[in-house]
Amino acid sequence: MEITGQLLLTVLMGAFLLGVAAFLARVEDWRSYTPLGAGGGAVGESGYGHSEKPAGLIRWFTTVDHKDIGLLYGAYATVAFVVGGLMVMLMRAELTTPETAVLGSATFYNSLLTSHGITMLFLFGTPIIAAFSNYLIPLVIGADDMAFPRINAIAFWLLPPGALLIWAGFFPLPDVIPAQTAWTMYTPLSAGVGNGNQMNVGVDLMLLGLHLTGVSATMGAINFIATIFTERAEEVTWANLDIFSWTILTQSGLILFAFPLLGSALVMLLLDRNFATTFFAVEGGGPILWQHLFWFFGHPEVYILVLPPMGIVSYVLPRFSGRKLFGFKFVVYSTLAIGVLSFGVWAHHMFATGIDPRLRASFMAVSLAIAIPSAVKTFNWITTMWNGKLRLTTPMLFCIGFVSNFIIGGVTGVFLASIPVDLVLHDTYYVVGHFHYIVMGAITFAGMAGIYYWFPLVTGRWYQRRLAKAHFWLWMIGTNVTFFAMVLLGYGGMPRRYATYLPQFATLHQIASLGAFLLLVGGIIWIYNVAVSWIEGPRVQSGDPWRLDETDLNTAEWDWFEAKRETSLAATDGGEDVTADGGQEIEDDTAE
Amino acid sequence: MDENPGVSEEYRMVSPWPLFVALGIPIAEIGILFGLVPLAVGGLLLFCGSIAGILRENEYVSSAWRGLAGVSVFVIAGGLALWYADTATASDLLIRAYSLIGTGVLLLVAGVGGDLFARDAEPGL
Repeated sequence: MEITGQLLLTVLMGAFLLGVAAFLARVEDWRSYTPLGAGGGAVGESGYGHSEKPAGLIRWFTTVDHKDIGLLYGAYATVAFVVGGLMVMLMRAELTTPETAVLGSATFYNSLLTSHGITMLFLFGTPIIAAFSNYLIPLVIGADDMAFPRINAIAFWLLPPGALLIWAGFFPLPDVIPAQTAWTMYTPLSAGVGNGNQMNVGVDLMLLGLHLTGVSATMGAINFIATIFTERAEEVTWANLDIFSWTILTQSGLILFAFPLLGSALVMLLLDRNFATTFFAVEGGGPILWQHLFWFFGHPEVYILVLPPMGIVSYVLPRFSGRKLFGFKFVVYSTLAIGVLSFGVWAHHMFATGIDPRLRASFMAVSLAIAIPSAVKTFNWITTMWNGKLRLTTPMLFCIGFVSNFIIGGVTGVFLASIPVDLVLHDTYYVVGHFHYIVMGAITFAGMAGIYYWFPLVTGRWYQRRLAKAHFWLWMIGTNVTFFAMVLLGYGGMPRRYATYLPQFATLHQIASLGAFLLLVGGIIWIYNVAVSWIEGPRVQSGDPWRLDETDLNTAEWDWFEAKRETSLAATDGGEDVTADGGQEIEDDTAE
Repeated sequence: MDENPGVSEEYRMVSPWPLFVALGIPIAEIGILFGLVPLAVGGLLLFCGSIAGILRENEYVSSAWRGLAGVSVFVIAGGLALWYADTATASDLLIRAYSLIGTGVLLLVAGVGGDLFARDAEPGL
């Protein structure tokens, strides 16, 4: 049995490698007319005379173009968002009754809970931000491409295998069950200690997948730092660098310090599980060590996820307020301040673990302090809108929704930073409500603002306005119904991460599920709107679809869009493809 | 960007290697972690081969064969480290050490052999 298994695996692996070799041999054909080595190792230097991209799927598998990779990130994040969303809909369905009457077992609920968190944070949150930054950063800073285009492609392609590994437990594989460790993977449970089933290989696969997404994020971060530092056009200085690039730069710095630590901690956990090391064992480093390492990554991760969406809001909101961002400098300073402070707050997740009270007090002080730069931003957004000429387009509605939800999410967070309040509310639905106001109400809302704002730029078409507004209102109401109910549940003492609950919590849980249903409907409308409008939406008629020139608020990416439109119009007039500046002939596409 | 409007549409760059670099890493990781020799060897071959290819594509190395020989050193070193660690720990790392050393030797032979025997595209240069 063992031998045949190994033999089968060897044959499969050999066949796969042969397939790869055959594919690469075929690819040689089009390498002859896309001389990649022309730059002589200088990655930023591009050779001229390239033909258009290879056709069909091959294009997407081989592209190193920042815009294509941005779209791949976007598509990937959308799939992950749908998967994570459907997982939570099952959970919310389960929570309409106090017993496990819907899903039938608490273990399945725990698996969904774990996967929902990891999917939304690592497979949706980070990639959707990478989608925006890949597509837009080179355009707004005037770079030809990312500093390291191939590293960029590697970073993306690590994500699909990562997702498959993280979800592996849900696939019908023999003897593999989903991880039930929750996204925080606290030891000793995640080390497989005790009589539970978390020694299962499904947990190892999940940890490996998570490790891959961490490697991916780190590669992306290095790329963005190098791009923003070295690839800016001459006219883009540090003084007039846009706010979105500032937030991506800060976020990349955070990733650079946080994610390698997560990777190391995951490797230590894998070693504990498989090779009998004692990093997190009681007789070794102790289970609390995991919490320190995890949250030293985990809390900066919160700002890794929220800073770029704040950048999107700071970028988009002034366009529809008819005025420039109020206090631009202070928004940048507060971004940097959050970046620095975010590494000094991790132990506020551990107030209830019995750590030294003097340590607790200092972490409480820093946690309260980090509210100040966040509030600076909030007041700047409000002041930008104050007396402005507001245009309530869909992206603007999502920006305002962001500010509103961010205030509730932020203020509930300030209370949690206070030790005595935290000791009461720790591990209740209050915490769940608090951070969902941020991750759903703020981060996802900013993502949607970005998607609607740049939809004409990317697709050259318009989305359906009424559907987009319906999406916004369903989500605005749905978010507040769901997550405010959770805040109230937390005040009532409902602990988090349980499939069952006492009957007294039923009403609020049912209200939360109703809100989640509104979110589901809004999400379906969003997917439909984006898909249908991409294919057959009315074409954008000018290079300035949002009429930003009227208020003198145009930005570089729309100049690029206008130039691209003009180039493509000229090309269509001529009836032939445009040859690049080098003037070389474009050969036929023989790849297909 | 100003003097070359829309120019980034015309810089066309494609590379077949990133996808396979990214596929090689998880396959090799799973193989090494669980001690599955075919996956460890196959994944490492895919990963190291793609690294060699990408180095050649950027002209960081003069031929992909030399790139292969270069990365083989790291794989063999990793294997030797595991081999050494096996004696120092209770865990059984031997099968993993042999996988790495074997893969490294394969890569080295392929690299040196390819460099010696493969026909040059431009003989004499």
